[in-house]
Amino acid sequence: MSLWVDKYRPASLGKLDYHKEQAVQLKNLVQCGDFPHLLVYGPSGAGKKTRIMCLLKELYGAGVDKLRIEHQTIVAPSKKKIEINTIASNYHLEVNPSDAGNQDRVVIQELIKTVAQSQQIQSSTQREFKVVLLTEVDRLTKDAQHALRRTMEKYMGTCRLILCCNSTSKVIGPIRSRCLGVRVPLPSTEEVCSVLSTVCKKEGLSLPSELARQISERSGRNLRKALLMCEACRVQQYPFSVDQAVPETDWEVYLRETANAIVSQQSPARLMEVRARLYELLTHCIPPEIIMKGLVAELLSNCDGQLKTEVTHIAAYYEHRLQLGNKAIYHLEAFTAKFMAIYKKFMEDGLDGLMF
Amino acid sequence: MRMSKRSLGRKVRSNKANCWVEPSFSNLLAGKSPESKGKVGKGPRKKKGETNSSAPRSSSLSVVQEPHQSDHNVPWVDAHAPHSQAELAVHKKKIEEVENWIRTHTDPTTSKGGIIALLTGPSGCGKSATVQVLAEELGFRLQEWTNPSNVSEYRADPEAYRQTFEPASRFNGFLSTSQTGLFQEFLLRANKYNCLQMVGEQGPKDRKLILVEDFPNNFFRQPGSLHDILRRFVKTRRCPLVFIVSENLSGDSHSRLLFPKEIQEELSICNISFNPVAPTTMSKILLRIATLEAAKTGGRLCVPDKDTLDILCSGSSGDVRSAINSLQFSSLAERGLSLPKKEKCLAVLPGKAACKRTQGKKRSKEKGPGEAEQCIGGKDVSLFLFRALGKILHFKSESPRKLSGQHKLPPHLSEHQRHSLLIHPELVVERSHMSAEFFNLYLHQNYLDFFSTVEDVARASEYLSDADFFTGEWASRAVMAEYGSSVATRGLLHCNSAQAPVGFRPLHKPNWLIINKKHRENCQAAQSLFINFCLTPTILQVELLPYLAKLSNPMRNPVDNLTTMTGKIQVETDHLLNLEALTDKDPGTLDLDDEVEGDQAGALSPPREAGAELPASQPQPTTFEALMKEEDLLIEEYDSE
Repeated sequence: MSLWVDKYRPASLGKLDYHKEQAVQLKNLVQCGDFPHLLVYGPSGAGKKTRIMCLLKELYGAGVDKLRIEHQTIVAPSKKKIEINTIASNYHLEVNPSDAGNQDRVVIQELIKTVAQSQQIQSSTQREFKVVLLTEVDRLTKDAQHALRRTMEKYMGTCRLILCCNSTSKVIGPIRSRCLGVRVPLPSTEEVCSVLSTVCKKEGLSLPSELARQISERSGRNLRKALLMCEACRVQQYPFSVDQAVPETDWEVYLRETANAIVSQQSPARLMEVRARLYELLTHCIPPEIIMKGLVAELLSNCDGQLKTEVTHIAAYYEHRLQLGNKAIYHLEAFTAKFMAIYKKFMEDGLDGLMF
Repeated sequence: MRMSKRSLGRKVRSNKANCWVEPSFSNLLAGKSPESKGKVGKGPRKKKGETNSSAPRSSSLSVVQEPHQSDHNVPWVDAHAPHSQAELAVHKKKIEEVENWIRTHTDPTTSKGGIIALLTGPSGCGKSATVQVLAEELGFRLQEWTNPSNVSEYRADPEAYRQTFEPASRFNGFLSTSQTGLFQEFLLRANKYNCLQMVGEQGPKDRKLILVEDFPNNFFRQPGSLHDILRRFVKTRRCPLVFIVSENLSGDSHSRLLFPKEIQEELSICNISFNPVAPTTMSKILLRIATLEAAKTGGRLCVPDKDTLDILCSGSSGDVRSAINSLQFSSLAERGLSLPKKEKCLAVLPGKAACKRTQGKKRSKEKGPGEAEQCIGGKDVSLFLFRALGKILHFKSESPRKLSGQHKLPPHLSEHQRHSLLIHPELVVERSHMSAEFFNLYLHQNYLDFFSTVEDVARASEYLSDADFFTGEWASRAVMAEYGSSVATRGLLHCNSAQAPVGFRPLHKPNWLIINKKHRENCQAAQSLFINFCLTPTILQVELLPYLAKLSNPMRNPVDNLTTMTGKIQVETDHLLNLEALTDKDPGTLDLDDEVEGDQAGALSPPREAGAELPASQPQPTTFEALMKEEDLLIEEYDSE
């Protein structure tokens, strides 16, 4: 069985559920023949990847659906072997270069070169270019991005790039200016609701509109998350009830408990407990940035208005540190400690204020 | 003549090696008279007290006297070797422990379990001397292995030596047996055959101890070959075998390489570890020797005053041998060259000056911190990690009443006023023989216990964060690491304004490395298993996996295990709180580079097989339990005495 997310993923531009004008534009873009490099960006769960796959299908037909996973080994100039997984069809190649870590530059250069240097065999029936889809471009090192810029120019004749990322802020200007930017915004709450109910209908389930609304709100309009939540709801209880609790992921619950622990007591011993919890989250593959973000969100909801600016400020400071530093725990802990100190001072001041 | 030759023999080792090509009986035969036995058995290895300790006690006095009359070249280390337990510089309990071991394991009626002992400890702490003295007192013959050298082997038979190098010779090539082979033969023979009872020998000395201090080089490359030999040895189990391994503090200990935990358990090797000699014991011994020598020379050599002795003690960092050597040297210099006392310190290192300052308030007040006096031949001071961490975490600063002399900070900074430190944080880190980053990790793991207020912790953690930030860029890491550790240590010291009540606090090994490793393993496993979903890692880990875990219709395949592992957080079992305690004898083992974990990773648990190899039948919780059990075991192993 496959997940609903995958099962009901729209397969062509015409079948997309929302942002239909954009779908039409993309269709026109493909049909008019000339096809620039694309930079598709937008928040997670908005449907970037779905849109890209639809676009590819429009370009090449059903052939792009025959995907194969390839395990490639690239030898860097320093003789170091880099192993990377790619997903490819006859017409396109998808790769996440940031998997290679620091060596992403080599991956970009080598992979694109290999793809671009081989011509299409039947260029009469097919397009004369192949497509390379790079995901998580915003996580590329600067080095790799510059390499990408040169590669883009060099192989324009035989290869088109589709770059996919969450935010363009980490993509260097030269790349942005060489690509056609396509922003895929999040669906609105109503759109999420309608998608949910369509999916449920196809599954033969009836989804109360209140629950759909609740799910879409809890998911933060992230459609992937909403569908996963909906499916989890189905597993949890069917028939659906209106006031059913929407299941949350364990790490979110755990993070909230952690935040509550921080708020309820501020002491070195408590910080020690919090550290153990942070470690636990890290072992469960939750990236430190996400932990930081989630923690701040939870903490802010516990904060008084005037404290919020300060907390956000230190959160931004330590998030930056997290990016620059080496070992995430130092910064997560420093943030927690700082928050504890601020919060404690605020509470004590508040108590003093009450006394007088 | 004999003595002077022997003092040279420290490096040459010719005596013993010459004899070695002969069957090992020759050793025993040579042992018929006390003097020659001492010579053959102990000559080349010049540990403290080996020379005379095996001589019968009745004649020991004359042995001590004799060299003095002949010349002054005898090192005091040899002249004043301990002859009885009372003279040993080792703690009584330790001696008792060794004695008990020897008693129980040589008596065939009580003997059970291992027949091998492993004595470890820093050099010059009296390991060998203890064995010598005890063997003497309990009536054991010591038979010691010494690495043979090939050259001398040929010297015994010059004809064969020439032949091997002759191109036309049939035997073109060395005929020697490998050291490993010789070692094995030695053990076999020493185990099997007793020495002959000679006329004139007092009492039966058929019981013997085999002592190995010198390991054939091959064993360091292939510890397995040693283990095989030992396994065979243990099967016959006739003679007790004592290994002595000197440890250094920097962590790459031979004892761990040669005798890993599994082997120690398998062969039930009894591990007795020695501490460096305590300063009080040391100064007693020095004083005794100095008085003896002064008496012998009839006043030409005066007893050094207490301060000088103290300096000698502290300079040797628990190494008796080096302390006695430097005592002899310093007294010689004084008498022979009649140098003024201040100038006697030839080598004054800046580091030493600072280390002086750390040695307690009493002396530093008398002499003043500026006076950089250090004895000749002082050793580089090094610290066990445990002590080094303790120095930072339970820091000491000068007493408040001395404050008046210091200049004060201006009023708006007065909250940052601290008493001056009695330690030098950079030096402490340097002496711990750890990379600055690992030291920071250790500090980070342990600092919270020593703080009492959150405000202090907040500032301290900020310094740790700064320190990590310094080393974030790999290109500049080598340079910045020291600054990082300086910031971290000094930051911690400065922030701890209200020290938590002092007492013993267990220290722990940092969790970060194992956590980081697990994090990466899990991420990789997740990615390789769920590559079909074509998702970016973050989304996979944060959104898909947790919900897959929620969708409880199990897919009944290995994938499922991983989902439950990564997606579900077992709130109730906080297995992370199983900390590995760090004890005072633990060397810092994490000298390897950053993201490549040190030995510890290997020591902890076998990395969980990630990916498709996960057996489908194995439910996840059991794996966790197994992990926990393993960690528990480890903690027991690290029990301090």
